[in-house]
Amino acid sequence: MPTDVELNKWIDQLQSSSQDDRLVAVKTLQHLGDDAAIDALIIALKDNSPAVQKIAITAVWELANPVAVTPLLDCLASPEAEIRSEAAAALSELITTAHLLLLLEKLQQDDINVQLAVLTLLRKIHDVQSLPALLSFFESPYAQLREAAIVTLRYLNQVKHCPPALVLIHDTDETVRRSAALTLGHLTDAEVIPLLTQALTDPDWQVRRNAAKSLAVHSSPNALPDLLSSLNDDHWQVRKFALQALQQIPNPQLLPDVIKTLADEAPDVRKEAAIALGNLGHPNALNALQQALDDPDRDVCIYAQRAIQKIQANFSLCDQL
Amino acid sequence: MALITQRIDVPVLVDESKCLEKCTACIEVCPLDVLAKDPQTGKAYMKYDECWFCLPCEKECPTNAITVQIPFLLR
Repeated sequence: MPTDVELNKWIDQLQSSSQDDRLVAVKTLQHLGDDAAIDALIIALKDNSPAVQKIAITAVWELANPVAVTPLLDCLASPEAEIRSEAAAALSELITTAHLLLLLEKLQQDDINVQLAVLTLLRKIHDVQSLPALLSFFESPYAQLREAAIVTLRYLNQVKHCPPALVLIHDTDETVRRSAALTLGHLTDAEVIPLLTQALTDPDWQVRRNAAKSLAVHSSPNALPDLLSSLNDDHWQVRKFALQALQQIPNPQLLPDVIKTLADEAPDVRKEAAIALGNLGHPNALNALQQALDDPDRDVCIYAQRAIQKIQANFSLCDQL
Repeated sequence: MALITQRIDVPVLVDESKCLEKCTACIEVCPLDVLAKDPQTGKAYMKYDECWFCLPCEKECPTNAITVQIPFLLR
């Protein structure tokens, strides 16, 4: 442990007019790691030099003292991107549920950087009390804020219905639509399934992929015709996740289309097709699965073998009955 | 450990224009204690020819004055 004399020497040096001296002092205080220096370090968070500020942020982060949360929140408004990202990283470890009201208050500040960082921090708290504050960001003129808000909504516990969030699936910005497609997987509003099936024809392939992912979560039979069309999508990831969604809704109607995807150019798609055929459990899939045993991809062979065993097990059970 | 005789071809390079005379951050974090202060210039330098390429000296330097040259086969 450093002595008081040693500590005070560096704390005093933190007031020096020379930037070099302040840099040495703040670095040494960081290394000493003494909680007694917290007040001096908090003052250093407002230093003129960004280099001193950045080390001070790291130092208070390492001390992990909750007193530093409010001053660190002020650093989120810094014009320096490095300071903002260091402060956001520190806050992501220091924030607890006790800071919810503080964060919501900060969200009112008219600064896009602060709002973005606070929206990200709210994901750590998961509290549904942040929902009213989030709603106003769904109509923000900034795409980044709309995207951050729709992602944060996904992290809030107990939120099952949120009609204002649904319109973001038609947003003009594709990053917002991508995140909205994933968030809709967590909502149970009646309009969610039709919106997600519409999103399967979005011009952006990542929106289509995320919509298929969310439909896998919902596993609604109403999405079946649109998911079948997605098996012919241009992008292999969309076809893969459409198959994953179809695995959740086994229907004998699917058989011919799923067998076709067993010859897809992407090995991941062929693997998912084999799993889907195993879930369908129909003996008509056996020939196609036998051929898949010679697939150049090892994963596809393994899953084809498992699917065959699954179908045969189903039928030996039926014979016994 | 062998003393460094010339300071050009060493793994830990210190940019003397950036190194702060009163700072000892790199010296304190070096697990091998191979860094030292030049008593004449007050700048840090690699005193002994031994390095683990562990990088805290480079990371901890408040002015980014240190560059560790990692050998190709260790990258």
